[in-house]
Amino acid sequence: MEYTVGSIAPIFLSPVIAFVINAFFGRKLPRQGDWLATLSIFVSFIFSARIFGDFVFGQFATDYYIHKVFTWFDLSYGTQIYKIDMGIYIDNMAAIMLVMVSGVATLIHLFSTWYMDHDEKHGRFFVFLPLFTSAMLGLVLSDNLFSLFIFWEIMGFCSYSLIGIYNKKEKAGDASLKAFMTTRVGDVFLLLGIVALWTTLGSVNYVDIYAAIAEGKFLGQTVLGISFATFTALCIFLGAMGKSAQFPLQVWLPDAMMGPTPGSALIHAATMVTAGVWVSLRMYPLMVLGDITWFIAVIGAITAFGAATIAVVQTDIKAVLAYSTLSQLGYMIMGVGVGSYNAAFMHVITHAMFKACLFLSAGSIIHSVHEQEMPKLGGLRKFLPYTHFAMMCCTLAIAGIPFFSGFVSKDRILGDALYYGFMAGQNPLLAIVPILGFAGAGLTAFYMFRMMFMTFYGENRTHHDDHGHGHGHHDAKGHEAHGHDIHHEHLDVRQNVPLLILSVFTLGFWFCGTLTGQSFGKVFGAKTEWFKVLVEAPRVERFVNHPRQEFSKVDTKEAAHLEHAHYHHQTGYAGPNPDEHKLHSAHTIGAIASIIIAFAGVFLAFLMYIKGSVKPWASKFPGLTKVLQNKYYFDDFYIEVLIKKGLLGLNRGLAWFDMGIYDRFAVDGWAAVNRVLFKSAKWFDNVVVDAIGVDGTGVAVNLFNLVLRIVQSGKIQFYFIMLIMVLASYIWTVNI
Amino acid sequence: MMSLASYLIISLILFVVGLMVMISRKNIVAILLGIELILNAAALNFVAYSRYVTNNLDGHIFSLFIIVIAAAEAAVGLAIVIRFFQIKETIHVDEATQLRN
Repeated sequence: MEYTVGSIAPIFLSPVIAFVINAFFGRKLPRQGDWLATLSIFVSFIFSARIFGDFVFGQFATDYYIHKVFTWFDLSYGTQIYKIDMGIYIDNMAAIMLVMVSGVATLIHLFSTWYMDHDEKHGRFFVFLPLFTSAMLGLVLSDNLFSLFIFWEIMGFCSYSLIGIYNKKEKAGDASLKAFMTTRVGDVFLLLGIVALWTTLGSVNYVDIYAAIAEGKFLGQTVLGISFATFTALCIFLGAMGKSAQFPLQVWLPDAMMGPTPGSALIHAATMVTAGVWVSLRMYPLMVLGDITWFIAVIGAITAFGAATIAVVQTDIKAVLAYSTLSQLGYMIMGVGVGSYNAAFMHVITHAMFKACLFLSAGSIIHSVHEQEMPKLGGLRKFLPYTHFAMMCCTLAIAGIPFFSGFVSKDRILGDALYYGFMAGQNPLLAIVPILGFAGAGLTAFYMFRMMFMTFYGENRTHHDDHGHGHGHHDAKGHEAHGHDIHHEHLDVRQNVPLLILSVFTLGFWFCGTLTGQSFGKVFGAKTEWFKVLVEAPRVERFVNHPRQEFSKVDTKEAAHLEHAHYHHQTGYAGPNPDEHKLHSAHTIGAIASIIIAFAGVFLAFLMYIKGSVKPWASKFPGLTKVLQNKYYFDDFYIEVLIKKGLLGLNRGLAWFDMGIYDRFAVDGWAAVNRVLFKSAKWFDNVVVDAIGVDGTGVAVNLFNLVLRIVQSGKIQFYFIMLIMVLASYIWTVNI
Repeated sequence: MMSLASYLIISLILFVVGLMVMISRKNIVAILLGIELILNAAALNFVAYSRYVTNNLDGHIFSLFIIVIAAAEAAVGLAIVIRFFQIKETIHVDEATQLRN
């Protein structure tokens, strides 16, 4: 198949066009242009699916990639090269990511047309949704860190707009600001890393960076006393931490649920938060070179476990999902850190599927019941059968129950973590990574089923309170009012079909090709483990002296032999792993352990919330519950200590500097200097120019005038006398 | 035999008379007459020097020029005097004050 710019660019451009049209003419379009946005993403999906089908199901080399570049601007001088290339880079990973992002976004858009119906922010929502998606698609397509950063910031802006879309609610405004400012902390470091790479390598192209790593250009360079590779890797990872809401910067993501639920689905699943994992994966060779993978693994493990513990005590259904997102992102980052590149990326994809579905299901519940506090829900499975089915599939997936996608990807990460923590000969302290990972997995199963049981099972509690909205309040589609406050759910194309489609992809065999995720029960036959075959950490040696392809070049993919990628678990590069049997046993142990842990979590949730034989432990550990309900006091810590004590003090100091020093001395001082200069200039003007120059000329002329007036009497005979006398004196002088 | 000196003396007398007329008379016509006398004195000088000193025709030609210029000057001068008289009804030289101030 041929790849021209014309067949790749629509992936990114069609949502942009929808954004522009909706932004300027959305109000004039029927239904405020939501169909246009949905259609534009679907166009992206079609184009992505073409690439996906070709890359994944064609018999092609695993390391094939499309790379088209054009120079955006060039600041080179002398021997140094400073230029920014813009271009498209598609490898297998990008092809998979593109089809995931556009596919999930299409379903989210479709769902949003139902969810946002008759909402006052309907049109506005469908302005930002396609822009958000296009930014993510552009980020996946981009071939360098600079354009990645541009799309990264567009996504930051879009998330800000979507979270704060109900701009009359103060909490929504605060949450959007919080999301924007917290990710900004990471973005500053990301930009720093990009600039550092640019000034040293002269290019921020992935391909050039890989080539530079392979050529050893990073060696021997230091920044601020630490190695250059470590510095840049750390900066880029800090950016990823901000975007993917990792441990110290996680505070924004739970608040991001202030926006409409489909917007949260987009932020949590397909776009925003996966960008951080994406850049970590793209810069994986740099992370390895900089030797910060242990840091990544520890941060991921802390996030995975910490967020899971908080999710246990949340009562808001969206808050539980938000913390589960945090926790799953922790697993992805942990996967990057422990060198399970492939599984980390697989978890991005599987998580996007089930988390989008979970959020859409939550949206379906909230829209039907007008309630999102779980203690006020319950017994909803009779009223919302389709939502229940979809949400149950996703919950099984995220909890890590076998045959579901979450089991496949999370189990691989955990197996690699087990190997990394106990068997790879690392620092024994790093054993904390698999321990936290497995503990978090158990908690995930527990809190997800707690949410399911509290929402869909037991007794319906919605009619006990007056908080619920009135009877038939939102009867837009003619649903019959049924039972208490709830309309019985009928199969609706826009409400349920996206959920059901997504729930199909919660099955594990789509991703690993086997039913169990292990080596038995193959479904696809020869195509088994396509994910593992196709996605591998970039082998940097391949990129040395790569030919530069022009933007207009037509790439033609040629058939090649399909080869299996092998992993070296410390570097992620292909090659025989000496610890193959150890790794295998780690995966076996990990699989068994995670099954046991997952079922234990589910069973505990069952006992607590369905059978009621075990009382919830919240009353037993009031102190711990309070800590968890306050999210480990991170928000308070940031606001009370960092912001009030640190930042405000700093701000006050800066204000003092600004007002006291800068304003008083620099600005006012400059004014004083100017005043003196002005005075001297005035003196010069008055005295020298005006008095001496202008008036002096007049006075001098006047003086001459006095003399000349005597001579020029106008008496002609006097002139004759003068003439004669002058002539006479002349002659007299000449004669003498 | 007339010597150069006698010509020069006559020329000098003519010049001085013309000068005195020019300076002392207030009548414009008289002043013009004085100028004529001075020009004639100069012409006489040229001819005399030409005859006694250089012995060629340069002085003669010069005196011819002087006569021509004197005629032209007299014509222009008299025209001015006539216009002046038409405006001021006098030919007193001190009345010609239009350019003053």
